[in-house]
Amino acid sequence: MRLLHNYHYAAAMLLFCLGLHTVIVRRNIIKKLIGLNIMETSVFFFYISLGYLEGGIAPIRTGGADPARMVNPIPQALILTGIVVAVSVTALALSMVILLYRQYGTLDVDRLMREEEPEAGESGKEG
Amino acid sequence: MGAWRHFPIFMITVPLLGAVLLPFLGYAREKWVPYASLLPLGTSALLGVLLIGRIPSGGYLSYHMGGWEPPFGIEIRLDYVGLFLMLVVCGITTLALVYSRHYIEKEVSGGRRTAYYVLYLLMSGAMLGFVATGDIFNLFVFMEILALSSYALVAITGNRNAVRAAFKYILMGAPSSIMVLLAIGFLYSVTGTLNMADLARRIAESGFTEVLIVSYILLVVGFGVKAALFPLHMWLPDAHSIAPSPISALLSGLLVEVCAFALVRITLSVFTMRASDLVMGTADAVGVAAAAAVLYGGIMAILQKDLKMMIAYSTVSHIGYIFLGLTAFTAEGLTGAMYHMLDHGLAKACLFLCAGNFIYLKGYRRIEDLKGAWVQMPWTCFAFALASLSVIGIPPTAGFISKWYLILGNVKGGKWLYAAVLLAGSILAAVYCLRIIYYMFFQSGKEGAWEEYWHDAPPAMLAPVWVLSLATLFFGVFSSLIIPSLLKAAAYLL
Repeated sequence: MRLLHNYHYAAAMLLFCLGLHTVIVRRNIIKKLIGLNIMETSVFFFYISLGYLEGGIAPIRTGGADPARMVNPIPQALILTGIVVAVSVTALALSMVILLYRQYGTLDVDRLMREEEPEAGESGKEG
Repeated sequence: MGAWRHFPIFMITVPLLGAVLLPFLGYAREKWVPYASLLPLGTSALLGVLLIGRIPSGGYLSYHMGGWEPPFGIEIRLDYVGLFLMLVVCGITTLALVYSRHYIEKEVSGGRRTAYYVLYLLMSGAMLGFVATGDIFNLFVFMEILALSSYALVAITGNRNAVRAAFKYILMGAPSSIMVLLAIGFLYSVTGTLNMADLARRIAESGFTEVLIVSYILLVVGFGVKAALFPLHMWLPDAHSIAPSPISALLSGLLVEVCAFALVRITLSVFTMRASDLVMGTADAVGVAAAAAVLYGGIMAILQKDLKMMIAYSTVSHIGYIFLGLTAFTAEGLTGAMYHMLDHGLAKACLFLCAGNFIYLKGYRRIEDLKGAWVQMPWTCFAFALASLSVIGIPPTAGFISKWYLILGNVKGGKWLYAAVLLAGSILAAVYCLRIIYYMFFQSGKEGAWEEYWHDAPPAMLAPVWVLSLATLFFGVFSSLIIPSLLKAAAYLL
């Protein structure tokens, strides 16, 4: 019953696992990044749902508003930071995807990683 | 209320502020950037030195950002171990920055040089904050600044191998960051606080619940990737060997260490060790992984043909050392781990910078090419040899002291097998290090591989290398300066 009541947590975890699965299993690096973003979003969703209150009001103390009815602002503040971080990671990763595609001509992660460079000793790369 | 109370925050913000201002200088006078970037790091180091002796023994220094009392405001909590690590960070980043000027001029093309220094300062500042903060979400933010700047720094040369290595690093690093964020969310959801000390109090009150278990495991995995603990280390050899040498030195000498330290701090001061079977069970698993890391890293290092690749695998092995010291759960083991962070940082930074000297002057990356190197580059070769001795753990270098305490800690904790693994790791290290020393000093190179006269790297590249290698010797001979306070701090943490 508790799970049914907290269905939003279950949804966040489902999304998280889905994203992780995409990151690990998919071979296309753009799809991996999409998986990464799904993971991130699921965590944001989890945080925001922590602070959610049915029929809650904004946490501004004016005119004797009832503090018990206010939503929790901390998760929202945290997630603002989290979103900024996520955007930066995605932007950086996408710019690297562009460079990789220009230089290797492929987005397939297996082919990317298999490509040997003649100079640098690449033995034991797949540790 | 002296001004020194504000030093902890200034140590962190001065490099970050420098990173913000540096692009403007880079726009006006690009030539000044390498010198100007030394200023913020030097300031941090100075403030850190001034803080020595200010920390009450067995206690900590608490700074409340903006005057907001914890647990509501963000707290910076600096105990003796934290300050010790911050000083290590300041020292090594400053030295590698001095080293950077020539190397970067050669390796990184014009428009990117300012970016290099900006990212460098960001990374240093983030590392300092990461070590000092007492707020778990703040820890995440600093970790992300650290991670983002290190992804970019690995790829800074823009050549295809570098970008690929950096991308591999992102693919492992970014999900691990999200795991840490999720874990923090779990912690917050059951305790309603983000301050580490407050978390510890509330966890102790509530006891362990399933949510905390999941949260702890996520934290171990998340920081495990960042610290490159054995099965999660795949990104490390590529990223550390392909990055520009000063960055390799930072990644290998500092980044993995501070991430390991963060995990330790969370284990010790949030989940309060021994609190439950969970922590002990996880510690057992981590111990097994660490032992495997010691052996695997050592064997892989022996098999490498590329010098920087070899040093990177040696780092995988030494991360195992640090974790084995932590999982011993004795004051000696913890002290050994902390001291190992210091001497491994110094020695690894030195080795990577030496490898950088070879690349800078001759473009040699392969171990084979080092045969007879000392004829031309005696200074680099001797520094390399000295740092290698510390990596192996031969007295009187610092490596010996830390390995001594690591083994002592494991023996006292009744973990004889791990003590044996630590010894075996030293033998493996001897194999891969002595081979290179043998090549450099006792073999003659191919015709024309080296000039017949002294032509070593410029002084600005040799000085950091020598300071680092002599520091390994210094901290080996004068270990009594630090070890007693570390033992006391470790006993306090346990």
